[in-house]
Amino acid sequence: MNKGLQLRNISKYYDEGSHRVAALDRVSISVAPGELVAVIGPSGSGKSTFLSIAGALLQASEGEVELNGQNITKLPDKQLSAIRLKEIGFIMQSSNLVPYLNVLDQLLLVKKMSGKVTAKDKAWAVKLLEDLGMGAKLQRFPEELSGGEKQRTAIARSLVNDPNVILADEPTASLDTKRAHEVVSLIEKEVKARQKAAIMVTHDERMLEYCNHVYRMEDGKMSLVRL
Amino acid sequence: MFLAMKEMMHSKTRFTMIVIIFVLIAWLVFILSGLGNGLSSLAASVFKNMDTDYVVFQQGSQSSMSKSLLSENLVDEAEDIPHITAAAPMGSSMATALKGQSNNNDDKVDIAVLGIEPGSFLEPAVIEGERLSADNPGNVIANVTMKDEGFKLGDTFQLDGSAESLTIVGFVENQTYNHVAAVFTPMSQWRKIAFAAPGSDKGIADPVNAIMLQGNKIDPDAVDAKLSGTDTATRAGAVQGMPGFKEENGTILMMLAFLLAISAFVLGVFFYVITIQKTNQFGIMKAIGAKNGFLSKAIISQVFVLSLVSIVVAVMLTYGTAAVMPKGMPFKLETNLVIAYSALLLVIALLSSLVSVRRITKIDPLKALGRVE
Repeated sequence: MNKGLQLRNISKYYDEGSHRVAALDRVSISVAPGELVAVIGPSGSGKSTFLSIAGALLQASEGEVELNGQNITKLPDKQLSAIRLKEIGFIMQSSNLVPYLNVLDQLLLVKKMSGKVTAKDKAWAVKLLEDLGMGAKLQRFPEELSGGEKQRTAIARSLVNDPNVILADEPTASLDTKRAHEVVSLIEKEVKARQKAAIMVTHDERMLEYCNHVYRMEDGKMSLVRL
Repeated sequence: MFLAMKEMMHSKTRFTMIVIIFVLIAWLVFILSGLGNGLSSLAASVFKNMDTDYVVFQQGSQSSMSKSLLSENLVDEAEDIPHITAAAPMGSSMATALKGQSNNNDDKVDIAVLGIEPGSFLEPAVIEGERLSADNPGNVIANVTMKDEGFKLGDTFQLDGSAESLTIVGFVENQTYNHVAAVFTPMSQWRKIAFAAPGSDKGIADPVNAIMLQGNKIDPDAVDAKLSGTDTATRAGAVQGMPGFKEENGTILMMLAFLLAISAFVLGVFFYVITIQKTNQFGIMKAIGAKNGFLSKAIISQVFVLSLVSIVVAVMLTYGTAAVMPKGMPFKLETNLVIAYSALLLVIALLSSLVSVRRITKIDPLKALGRVE
């Protein structure tokens, strides 16, 4: 069984008027547990489509997605949302927290989605937040947090169900250099320590030093830039 | 419930405003239904509180007492019909009671004179004073609202345009007829008042307006067949047959129906707008794995809590309003009615939230990534 995340010959076509546009053209990538991989490229290159397919948000037109040994290519929508909940942790751009939940509730919400929240779940969420340096701000709402703190919370949220895969979509988009380094180094640390397979889509070239491999997307094609 | 409550606690102003709108709508619904109920009992509480199942009218009288004239002899015949356990005659006429001999406006009071046999099942229980007796036909029992007009136990009053005078020996409650207080008299006395003009009884022996029936599984067609020239209606039919009753009730019901339809629309739009504002949040939650069911439950439970709070507040306001309403206002709240309208409002609110739920199921989690290519 292959651990981690494998995408094999993924293509995604969109119909635009009479002709077909390939947003992704036979993309293959393999990420092992404990690896952080960066995908860079100009906007419109297909990065988001790629991340959506890797994140079980979008079905590929062709090719296969294997997540921790399970082929999720043909699963129906309902099961896909269960996969997203249990197996994938998303870190999105800075404004992706629920505005009316405090830091701790952001994590408990994820637990709620899969049923009851036990005292153990709560302790685990608190521990995660403490590990990420948010221990003193459990009761704060997103509007009271800095951009870096929001992303720490988002990182904690992505880890709360102990998923095998972490997907980060421009996690440093609205952060200054210092905060951006903090956040990405934190992601790297957690990925290594918890043995997650992680992909980060970014066009922030400053962050590539934290990544094991770097891929470049251009016009739907993916190429390895750095091993 | 988790999301619903957390959000309401966080955005108190927004949800308070929705509650205020909902409370106003619900309040209006309760007030209108109370007024409708009050008006209809004012019009027909004598019938509504009567322990009878069917009413025998003259053929062609459209279930209206005032259009019907029968002979009392039919009572004995009716009692012989199977399933009928008791029958009692009743007569009604409108009159004006004169307080003293003055010509003041305040001293003329409209009343309904209802003739019944003393001791029959039509005689309501007195809350004060004595019952009717056949030996003293001039002694009557009156609805307790007559007290507000200045009549006391033992008072004797004259009827306007009539030589007859009546003495109040007892008071009853919740007995109004045609929007005025009912005064029950023995049948013989009522005939003297109603048929004072020669020939007004159309030559019928011992005339009455209708005969009330008690019994189980009475077949109205069989009664009509047995008693010649009659038309038997249910008690509800007799209430509907009262002059103006249908029109009056129809007006109120129409207002209520419009109000409920409008409230469904207003609430639905409110919930929908709130939901649309949160499209992005719902997209994010879907991306991290929330199922449609989870989010729909959040919306519905939120609407449920809002509705429940609003309805409870509106009920309290309504009872508060009822307490300060002027006495003459025909306003009558019944617990059953309040519960029924509360449930109806709750159902309407929940149904109107379904539009929002439908919207949620259509949100594409891809939107959460912000840059769909």
